[in-house]
Amino acid sequence: MHILVIEDDREHSEFIENVLIGAGHSVECVGQGDEGLLRARSENFDALIVDRMLPEKSGLRMVQEFRAGGGVTPALFLSALSEVDHRVEGLEAGGDDYLAKPFAPAELVARVEALGRRHSQNETPVTILKVGDLEMDLLSRKVVREDTIIDLQPREFKLLEFLMRHAGQTVTRTMLLEKVWNYHFDPQTNVIDVHISRLRSKIDKEFDRQLLQTVRGAGYCLEG
Amino acid sequence: MLAYFYTATVGAMRSETIGRLESELQTLAVAWNSGGPQRLEQSLLERAFVRVRDFTYQLETGDGDIIIGDLPRMPVDTSTVFAEPQSVTFEIERAQPVGVPDISTIEGRIVRLGDDSVLLVGIKMDERIMLVSRVTRAVATAAPIGIILALIGGYFSSRYAARRAEGLSRIAEAVMGGDLSQRADIGETGDEFDRLSERLNAMLTRLERLMASTRHAGEAIAHDLRSPLSRLRNRLEATLRAPIDREIAENTLEQTVVEIDQLLATFNAILRLSRVSEVSTSKFSTVNLSELAGEMAELFEPACEDSELSFTAKISPDIQIRGDRALLAQAVSNLLDNAIKYTPSGGAIAFELCRDPDGLRIMVGDSGPGISVDDRERVKQRFVRLDEARTQPGSGLGLALVDAVAELHHGQLILGSSIPDNPGSGLLVTLKLP
Repeated sequence: MHILVIEDDREHSEFIENVLIGAGHSVECVGQGDEGLLRARSENFDALIVDRMLPEKSGLRMVQEFRAGGGVTPALFLSALSEVDHRVEGLEAGGDDYLAKPFAPAELVARVEALGRRHSQNETPVTILKVGDLEMDLLSRKVVREDTIIDLQPREFKLLEFLMRHAGQTVTRTMLLEKVWNYHFDPQTNVIDVHISRLRSKIDKEFDRQLLQTVRGAGYCLEG
Repeated sequence: MLAYFYTATVGAMRSETIGRLESELQTLAVAWNSGGPQRLEQSLLERAFVRVRDFTYQLETGDGDIIIGDLPRMPVDTSTVFAEPQSVTFEIERAQPVGVPDISTIEGRIVRLGDDSVLLVGIKMDERIMLVSRVTRAVATAAPIGIILALIGGYFSSRYAARRAEGLSRIAEAVMGGDLSQRADIGETGDEFDRLSERLNAMLTRLERLMASTRHAGEAIAHDLRSPLSRLRNRLEATLRAPIDREIAENTLEQTVVEIDQLLATFNAILRLSRVSEVSTSKFSTVNLSELAGEMAELFEPACEDSELSFTAKISPDIQIRGDRALLAQAVSNLLDNAIKYTPSGGAIAFELCRDPDGLRIMVGDSGPGISVDDRERVKQRFVRLDEARTQPGSGLGLALVDAVAELHHGQLILGSSIPDNPGSGLLVTLKLP
């Protein structure tokens, strides 16, 4: 992915740059809202990472103006403020995701990659999700693998749907808690892990190929 | 003003009535002067024939024998009556055919005539006149007293206000000077000053506690995080010093990453905790607690099963409160997480949301080792971990956060035991909310 980072703290932007390059992406960094706006409009980026607190023009304003001008590149806000209502503000300004500092690097990578995927998937709504030989019919709510119908609880279905929509990407526990359970807090112990292992036992255990992988230190990945 | 009131209303009426009385007296005096006692008696007799009249007449001899009279006797002691007419006021009762007797106030003139007889002429005073004149008289007496009392009262009350205000401003100065231990005096009357003082004191107590906990947190953070960081450093250094073994180096680095992640999580938890007190209650929304509890139960149920713990949830429906959904979820999650962590396999966890006479209750009970009575207050503080817990992962901030969230929602965190008075029977955590 080609990513634009708009962050005025030099050390922090270098850190982000390293993390993203380490994950295989290409990165450009700017330190000002206006410059960022200019570059986002003129160049073709897959995602924007914008710090909320910028000198002169705030990150929120920058994204607002970008969207007002027709910009569709997905944007992730970084901020030192993490209360839920600040998150809502960010989303209302046109952001697509919101990450509070300090964040784990794996979290940043996972979320940015998820944004990139969303961007390219925007055009047609799908009714069937497919990963390897696992198939999910969103209309009939049926899940089938190798001609075997898999019986899932509603929450398990939601969890699998999210994993399938982000197939091939690392998905963190925090992301799962947010998108599948709609809660914004730090899950402790292995609360999410157990749900994953239950799902795994239903979709993977009886089969040869393990689709649902654990990514150490980061989260999970469903891969065909 | 009173005088104006008086003259404007009934003063005029009264003057007119008195005028009539005096001219009647004058007329009778002329009769006596011109025709002596016989002439007077005749005049009086003529008048006496008129049944319904305003005037009352009484003529008595010097010895007190009635010559002509409406009244049973003179209404006053005649020994003080002389040639100069005197005013006299009295009441007479007139029996009515039906109902209570009619009482009239009579204004009269009494005078001793040349032959020592005493003549009384009276005129009935309109009731309105009497009423107003009585009221006026009462007010005139009361007014000066009232004014004096008001002045005295005003003086004392302003001195009281000045004293209380000064007391409060002294507290404010002390606080600005850095002394948060001062508290305002509270009297017994419960007046506005007392209420203000109470609120001020509550605010100062909270401020004092916040500052103390901030200081304490700073120390605790430094203390508690120093150990893991030192450990990490030592391990990395040891690996550097040892001969290069790729596998060992890789393991060390992986482990280091994991521990650093844990440290970052702890920092996050600290930040989150300190932010709880900054959340303004005006940002609260309506939270469906029953739904939240149900979702938490569903979230944690597999983890319980995985640890071989039985999990029961009893959630009353339709419970809503004003609050912060994310914080409440985090608090409940911390409690359930603790329960799972500290209850040995084969045990039980009970989760309940129900209404209370004075609000509502969220309860998490487990069959673990519980917390001794002595430790119960301590364990709510930041970074306090009981010895038994040291082997478990965790930052010691879980209960501190639940406590902070409880306080933010004007509630309370209460630690007890599953079987009352038996701390070893397991921990029962109650989160009371209004």
